[in-house]
Amino acid sequence: MPQLHVKNLTKYYKDVLALSDVSFAVEKGDFVGIIGPSGSGKTTLVRCINRLITATGGEICLNNDKNILEMNRSEIRKARTGIGMIFQHYNLVDRLTVIENVLHGRLGYKNTVSGVFGHYTEGEKRKALEVLGLLGLDEHVYRRCDQLSGGQKQRVGIARALVQEPEIILCDEPISSLDPGSSKKIMDYLRKIQSELGITILVNLHQVDVARTYAKRILGFNNGKLVYDGPSELLTTERIQEIYGKEAHELILN
Amino acid sequence: MSSMISAGTTAAGGAIPQHHHVRKGRIVISKVTPAKLWLRSVLAVLVFFTLYGFLTIDTAGADLPASFVQTVRYFWIMFTSPRAVASHFGMSQSAGGFPVFLSAVKVLGITLALAFLSTLTGGVVALVLGLLAARNLTNDRISNTIKGIVAFIRAVPTVLWVLIFAIGAGLGAVAAVIGMSFHTVGHLMKAYSESFEELDEGVIEALRASGAKWPHIIFQAVMPSSITSILSWTFIRFEINFAVAVAMGAAAGAGGIGFNLFMSAGYFFDIREIGYITLMILVVALLMEVIAARLKKHYQPDAL
Repeated sequence: MPQLHVKNLTKYYKDVLALSDVSFAVEKGDFVGIIGPSGSGKTTLVRCINRLITATGGEICLNNDKNILEMNRSEIRKARTGIGMIFQHYNLVDRLTVIENVLHGRLGYKNTVSGVFGHYTEGEKRKALEVLGLLGLDEHVYRRCDQLSGGQKQRVGIARALVQEPEIILCDEPISSLDPGSSKKIMDYLRKIQSELGITILVNLHQVDVARTYAKRILGFNNGKLVYDGPSELLTTERIQEIYGKEAHELILN
Repeated sequence: MSSMISAGTTAAGGAIPQHHHVRKGRIVISKVTPAKLWLRSVLAVLVFFTLYGFLTIDTAGADLPASFVQTVRYFWIMFTSPRAVASHFGMSQSAGGFPVFLSAVKVLGITLALAFLSTLTGGVVALVLGLLAARNLTNDRISNTIKGIVAFIRAVPTVLWVLIFAIGAGLGAVAAVIGMSFHTVGHLMKAYSESFEELDEGVIEALRASGAKWPHIIFQAVMPSSITSILSWTFIRFEINFAVAVAMGAAAGAGGIGFNLFMSAGYFFDIREIGYITLMILVVALLMEVIAARLKKHYQPDAL
C-alpha cells in the first residue's frame, strides 16, 4: 500500500502545460529525488502535493485518504499538518528567534486565538527544543534568524518541518542557495530523518550527483512529463541525457 | 572631424567610429529626449514667472530694505524675549510666570490630545484596511477597491475633511478629530499596506504549507516583520497630526495651543506671546523627534 499516490496529475498555467499526466506512487519511508532541467515541472509537482498550487486535473492521495484536489479549506489545512516543507530560501521570519520560527510548524494544529497570540503548550515547546537539539542548533535557540548563516537557516527550516510531526517532507531545492559543505550537512540531516524517523522525503534537486548519492529512487522530469522513474543505480548516462537533453550530459557528469 | 574620431578611437583600441555620437565636432554623452525637453521648458517657464513676479510685486509703497530690517527685528523680539500674558491663558493678572506656563502647557496638552486621538483612531482603522489592501494578503479585487477608496480620502486635504465634518458636528474638537482621523487613515493605510507587501512571499507560503490560518500568518509573520515600520509611520503621522492640530485650533476652533496662537497673532497682535507659544511648540516637536529616533533604535537595533 503506497503512502502517496499521484495519478494522472496535470497542471496548466493558463495555456502553458506544466505537468502532463504524471503518475507515480511513493512507499512510506522512501527517499525520492526529483530531477530535471529548470521549468520541467519539479517545483510545480512538489507544490501540487500540498496544494500550494492547485492542479488542473488528476488525483493525489495521501494514505489512501480523500483526493487532495477535492478537499475543502479545513480538510486541506488538516492534510497540510502531515506534510512538512523545506524551501530554497528557507522562508523564515527573520525578525523572530529560532524557536519562534520552529514553533510556527505547530500553527496548523492551533485554533485561531491561541495561534494568533502564539500560545504553545509545554509539550510543543519541548518538542521544538528536542528537534533543535537533533539538528545541532541548541546554542542558537534564542538567536534572531537574520543572524544565522544559510546552512543554519536551512536547519531551522528543517526543524520547523519536523516539529509538525509529518509523515512526509517535501523539499524544494533545499541546497540550491548553499555552499558545498552546508549542502552536504543538510542532505545528511535529510537522510538521517528518513532513516531514523522513517519520514518519507521528496526532494527537488538540481544536482544529479547529489540525487544519485542520497535518493534511493529518482523521478526525472522533462517538459512536464515524467520521463524516468526508477532506482538511482539504474540512472545511466543515456537516461540522464533523456532528462536533460544531449548537450547537458558532459557538464553534469564531469 | 573624422580624423579626430579615428585618432581617439585608435587610442582606445580601434573601435568603429560612429558618427551619431558626435555633434558639432564634440562627442555627445547625453541624449536629448522629449522628456528632457519638457523638463527644460517647464524650468524656463518657472524661472520666467519667478522673475516676473519679483519685478512686478506690489509693495504698496513700502520701503523694502527698511521693512526687511524691521521684520528681522520683530523676529528677534519674538524669540529672544518671549512671554505670555496671564489673562490670555485664563489666569488672573497677578499670576506669576510659572502658573501661566503650566496653564499654557495644559493648553498644549489639548493640542497633543487632539493629535493623539486622531492618530489612534486613524491608525486602528488603517491597520485593518492595510491588511485587507496588501496585495500579498488578499486578492486583487479587494485590494484595488480599498486602495481606490483610500486614495480618494487621501486626495482631499485634512482641512477640508474637518470642515466637511463640521457640518454635522459643528466647528470644534469633534469635527477636527474626525477629519484628521480620516486623512490619517488615508496616509497610514498606504504606508502600512506597503510595509506588509514588503514581506517575502515565501514566508507566507511556508506558513500556509504547515496548515496555518490567515490570522495566524498575519500575527505570526506579517506583524512581527513589519512592526518597526508600522511604529515609525504611526509616529511620523503623530508628528504631522500635532502640526495639523495646531492649525485646526485656529482654523476650525478645535481649541488647544493653536487657538491661543491665532488669538495672539490676529487679535492681540502680541509678538512676544507668539514667540512664547512657537517656542513651546518647537520644544514639543523636538521631543517627538527624539522619541521617534529612540523608538526606532529600540525596535531595530541592528539598523544602526
